[in-house]
Amino acid sequence: MIVLWALLGIGLALGTSLGLGSIAPWLTSYVDLTMLPLVVYALRTSQRSSMIVGCATGLLQDYWIEPRLFGIDALVKTILGWALGGLGARFDLNTFWGRFAAGASVHLLDEGLQAALRRLFGETLAPVAVSTLAVRALAGGLLTAAVLVILSRTGSARSAARPKHRKA
Amino acid sequence: MAAVSPARANTLLLGVMSFGLLLLMAASVRGGVAGAAVAGAAGTASAPIVSAERSITRILLNVIHFFRDIDADERENVKLRREVARLGAELARAGERGQENARLRRLLGMREDLVPRSVGGSVVTSRLAGQSRVILVDRGGSDGVRPDMAVVAWGGAVGRVVSVERDFARVRLLTDPNSGAAGVIVRSRVEGMAVGRGGDPMEMLYVPKYADVVVGDRVVTSGLDGVFPRGFGLGRVTVVGAPVGASKTIRLEPEVDDRSIEDVLILLEPAGTRLLAPEEPESAP
Repeated sequence: MIVLWALLGIGLALGTSLGLGSIAPWLTSYVDLTMLPLVVYALRTSQRSSMIVGCATGLLQDYWIEPRLFGIDALVKTILGWALGGLGARFDLNTFWGRFAAGASVHLLDEGLQAALRRLFGETLAPVAVSTLAVRALAGGLLTAAVLVILSRTGSARSAARPKHRKA
Repeated sequence: MAAVSPARANTLLLGVMSFGLLLLMAASVRGGVAGAAVAGAAGTASAPIVSAERSITRILLNVIHFFRDIDADERENVKLRREVARLGAELARAGERGQENARLRRLLGMREDLVPRSVGGSVVTSRLAGQSRVILVDRGGSDGVRPDMAVVAWGGAVGRVVSVERDFARVRLLTDPNSGAAGVIVRSRVEGMAVGRGGDPMEMLYVPKYADVVVGDRVVTSGLDGVFPRGFGLGRVTVVGAPVGASKTIRLEPEVDDRSIEDVLILLEPAGTRLLAPEEPESAP
């Protein structure tokens, strides 16, 4: 059942992200919807599941919109899943500000890791605009917090009936 | 044997996954079979998602266009009638010039065809991140699209095809930091290389510091890069900065806004490869 939910989440995030790239391409500069399954799994389940979900989402995303470095998004999301999952296991990030910080930081770290890996593989880098990064962090943080609030409300009955045990 | 703690096991898993993914990236750069196999599996697994997404997006776009067009149609109609009248006269003059141009080109031995064969396509999705600016178009190998073909849109050059699948192609936009096109300033015929800078304005490199360039100059493709034919718009000069070494620093506002590309034209022949038949008779003067 857990795998089915993960597949549904990944599919929904990927489909919405690709749709956004067609309807409002400018929004893709600021928000990466495929980060959402990773953050949700990092804050609600385990570090390992967040790494695997991140890797799977990244591979699918790479196939459609990465022209040269197939696997770069998968690697970045695996690292982010590990980092955020580790933090989620140690601290309670399931508050509004915790969720906001998690969403904002993964969007910022994504940009940094992508730049570092592209540099490693000999690609030319564009200068980073601080204003774009700030909007990206703000939009990512708010979106993550909003999605997690919605998920908490819709899943609260289920969670109450079956308490979850977090794993490292 | 001591049990490994979950945290340590996850760190070990991260190491293994990172190593595998780095190998995958290296394989994809070198065009290895492993990279293609994993990519193929990812494509097959996500094809139903993208198919559903495209259907929903098409409906949404139709609704958006419907509401947007209701207001704009009336004004556009009047504007277009005037434009048609003006272009009719322009076309007649261009026809005359075209005939003269063809005669002169033959006299000069220039054999490049001005109108390359092309195929139209729609943008399926795009990614306009800082370090990677790519669009996916719904034309692929089955339509004759191949890597390194030029992609243009109404208004100017858009980018270059970088990889092709059966039914779609990935196009690296000119604003991508790893993109570039040979350009020429229309007014002064000064040549240079227009390169992308991510979300920032494009830059024109290798323009000599004494070259005649002013803000507002239009830059078009020069055809020297072997990808884009001559004459497609690249952008307008917005900044002429202080010289660095022997070159000027020039910023360009792209002619095509990559945040609003919906349809493109893929040029199926590389620039300068289609030749006029040498025995083609000259048209009567």
